[in-house]
Amino acid sequence: MSISKNDKIKLAQRIAWIAAGFALIMAVLLIANFVQTKLNKPIDNKTIPALVKRLSESPGDETLKAEIRAFDLMARKAYFTSQWQIRTGSYLMFLGIIISILAIRFVLSAKSKLNEIDKANEVAGLDKLVAQKWVIYVGSGLVVLALVSGFLSSNSLKEYMVNENIVAVEDPSTVQVASTELASAPVEQTAQSAALVTTENVTTEVVAPANPSETTSGTAIIDVAPKPSGLPTQSELKANYPFFRGAEGIGVASQKNTPTDWNGAGGKNVVWKVKVPKSGFSSPIIWGDLLFVTGADAQARMVYCYDKNSGKLLWEAAADNIQGSPSGMPKVTADTGLAAPTMATDGRAVFAIFATGDVIALDMSGKRLWARNLGVPDNHYGHGSSLIVYKDKLLIQFDTNRSGKLMALDTQTGTTAWETARSSKISWSSPILVNTGSRTEVILTTNPNVNGYDPQTGKELWNIACLSGEVGPSAGYADGMVFAANEYAKLVGIKIGATPEIVWEADEFLPEVSSPLAINGLVFIATTYGVFACIDAKTGEKLWDQEYGDAFYSSPIYADGKVYITDMSGKTHIVKATKDYQLIGTSELGEKAVCSPVFSDGKVYLRGMNNLYCLGN
Amino acid sequence: MSQLKRYFLLISILLFGAIQTFAADAKQRFPKPEFDSGYMQPQTTAASPRMIFLEYLDVLILLVVLSVVTWFVLKKRSRKGVFWTSVFSLLYFGFYREGCICSIGSIQNVVLGIVDPTYAIPLTALLFFLLPLVFSLFFGRTFCAGACPLGAIQDIVVLRPIELPKWIQKVLGLIPYLYLGLAVLYVATKSEFIICRYDPFVGLFRFDAPYNMLILGILFLAVGVFVARPYCRFFCPYGVLLGWMSKFSSRHMTITPAACIQCKLCSNSCPFGAIDEPVAETGKRRSNVNRLMTYFVLLPLWIGIGGFAGSMMHVPLSRFNQTVYLAEQIVEHPEVKNDAKNIDVRTFMSSGKSTEQLVQEADAIRRQFYLGGWLLGGFMGLVIGTSLINLSTFRRRIDWEPNKTNCLSCARCMDYCPVKKE
Repeated sequence: MSISKNDKIKLAQRIAWIAAGFALIMAVLLIANFVQTKLNKPIDNKTIPALVKRLSESPGDETLKAEIRAFDLMARKAYFTSQWQIRTGSYLMFLGIIISILAIRFVLSAKSKLNEIDKANEVAGLDKLVAQKWVIYVGSGLVVLALVSGFLSSNSLKEYMVNENIVAVEDPSTVQVASTELASAPVEQTAQSAALVTTENVTTEVVAPANPSETTSGTAIIDVAPKPSGLPTQSELKANYPFFRGAEGIGVASQKNTPTDWNGAGGKNVVWKVKVPKSGFSSPIIWGDLLFVTGADAQARMVYCYDKNSGKLLWEAAADNIQGSPSGMPKVTADTGLAAPTMATDGRAVFAIFATGDVIALDMSGKRLWARNLGVPDNHYGHGSSLIVYKDKLLIQFDTNRSGKLMALDTQTGTTAWETARSSKISWSSPILVNTGSRTEVILTTNPNVNGYDPQTGKELWNIACLSGEVGPSAGYADGMVFAANEYAKLVGIKIGATPEIVWEADEFLPEVSSPLAINGLVFIATTYGVFACIDAKTGEKLWDQEYGDAFYSSPIYADGKVYITDMSGKTHIVKATKDYQLIGTSELGEKAVCSPVFSDGKVYLRGMNNLYCLGN
Repeated sequence: MSQLKRYFLLISILLFGAIQTFAADAKQRFPKPEFDSGYMQPQTTAASPRMIFLEYLDVLILLVVLSVVTWFVLKKRSRKGVFWTSVFSLLYFGFYREGCICSIGSIQNVVLGIVDPTYAIPLTALLFFLLPLVFSLFFGRTFCAGACPLGAIQDIVVLRPIELPKWIQKVLGLIPYLYLGLAVLYVATKSEFIICRYDPFVGLFRFDAPYNMLILGILFLAVGVFVARPYCRFFCPYGVLLGWMSKFSSRHMTITPAACIQCKLCSNSCPFGAIDEPVAETGKRRSNVNRLMTYFVLLPLWIGIGGFAGSMMHVPLSRFNQTVYLAEQIVEHPEVKNDAKNIDVRTFMSSGKSTEQLVQEADAIRRQFYLGGWLLGGFMGLVIGTSLINLSTFRRRIDWEPNKTNCLSCARCMDYCPVKKE
């Protein structure tokens, strides 16, 4: 049986209609599906957050957990089903359109009707002239447009480079190479010289104690200050609070009977409160009855000494008239400032460093022992690494955009005992001192390495590349394990010893500024998104996490079985250092805070944005 | 076919596009589920590359398709054959291969291979770039006729074509040169593959695309019902290269298989306006020659002014480079450094680079754009100047002939010719 041409055309026409109708129905269904999904987004389901909130109030409710899981599964199913429907519907609709088009084309060709183009009514010669005219118009228009937009565009990069004295490079790919070369060059030097650098040419100032502001300078070291006798013992250090994050810089305080309840604004358990004359983000340090903090602005860099019992300002000393100190302040960000590093003391002297690269040593009565400028650190936020003292050496991490180094200055003279170049990018972490049982190591974190150094010689003992980004958090340490972390990188547990190795890695909760605290087989992490988490120190598994809402810049400190962590709003959350989350209390300072709490004689000392507080009964 | 059906079809196409748009918009992202059962989240892995033999198969299929379509055009003179070959290309290179790899985009691979010594251009990309050009050099743009999926999807919807006035065609015909120049500039500065990013049809092939690109693809198809293959004629950067090759093709298709009988039946057959009519010189010869001479004299001026104007554009042009854009953002709005939602800024912050380094890098890239702006502007000046010269020259023609540069070798006009092969 043969089908006539007319029948074929009719058949094709019907196919075209049916296919087009089918496509239309699919389109309507898809739109309906889309509207429904849009109106009831599974991801915006309000039920689950409500249930989760209820669960946080009663964490042990298994029925509630099952209910949440059921809702969660249902929402996911709904979402993925709608996705499947949209995709499948699209395919079917597309198929309908294709069939319809092909059928139409068949009809067109079967009718043997040649398609005539609607011609523009033109005269060949005239048409060319008109075209020339328009090409000239459009060409000229493009030129004018380009010129105008060029004139109106400002090159903010150029202006920035002029203002910041940034040198142009020829090729973008050389930018990274240049910085790598800068960073790597001193490493060889260190390797060859066994990390020991002579100190003949350093510029150090030692000033007559009678007149702190009067300075002399030169390459010769004038030793006019009375030499402190002896070195601090470990028990002395632990009895005090000499460094950032305690006697070893690891966030563990040995003080007992630490307070848990205060209110800075209401005055509850506020022993004293004073306004620090100049602002700074350095945390206090304490030796005996003396408490020290730094503050700075464009006019002056200051060290303040307070009576820790009364809050009375005993003395203040300016870090001025230092040879090499810049006349203008380096550009720093508001959240770092010029006085971010915490001071250090060995009980014989106190040491401070500022964003200008000025280092100053003062005796306990505020008399300048020596001062020197290390060179203005090329640091786009501002220098932030705190100081620490090992025996007779003041250890300074000096990682900048140009190069990185760890250096030790003689605590009595300020001369460089040694300096070790670091193959690293700029970082803001502070050194910690740990006794592994067989030796004492100074440990630093940076991008990409976690390094251990001999504090006596500066020799690098080990390094493990595991971090990335702009590393701010310092390392944590407990029981032979180092804990290093940074936001956008990871948290690693490193077993140190003869052959240091990474034992575990985690990346669920990572700090950006706050340093990890390790104690009782637990690691505590405070994040800038307001979550405080507890990790198993042996396995890296999360034990609990608690969302407080406000960011943490301050580091957690352990004292008397409790962990104190202060958020940026000034609230200090006090939890038990246990595997289960147990909140002891939350106390408010009444002002914003980024400094870490400091403990001494049953009191907690906390620096807010403006004031310094002594809290306790 | 009634008007009603055509409108119905057009509405269907628009609806199809709209649905795709909705589908793209409807995508949401769930946070990772948390399991208490000890279930370990699988590691995120990158998709495996396509097997090398399949890549070579793509090249082989392209070669076969080019050969078949050329055979249909030159030997069989079959519009039907060309059409069905293009449907196959649409299905294979379009929907199955999802528009990648494609000859149009391969321009960028070739340019990158030239400017970046660390980039080894894949052999398949090189062949996808070269094969259509080689075929064009000998046989005209048969690639456009039957092997290009972008051309095929537009060709299918050519239902009611109209001819645009020549001046519009000429003006719009400048766009592909600009697009080609920009594409080369952005690849040479390692900024962007703009041809791929702004491919209006790849979203339809993949049933997935950014909202704007889907809308653009739908608009091209809707316009294409009346203005045949608008992307091919007024945007395609590869079409510029194919046109240059095709201009010198020795075995280009002809409208008539034998001697033209001047019946004029083909005069209204080309939806692309690519048939040159018989022409005799009009106007006064002296003034025509003077005009031509003027255009020749002005050609260096066009190049110079174009180059200067292009160089002036280097600041806005360079903003499409991500490094430059990021540096400007951070310099002009330092507060973005604290914006946790700005993924580019967060990535930069976590890279450990300083702002100074970023600015140095961006400045160096911007200076590359300055040089590139001169070259791009000079090239556009050359194109405009040459277009004016071409529009002022008269070549005596006595038959209706396909314009070798613009003819897409679709073979439509052949059906209109009553002359049969002897």
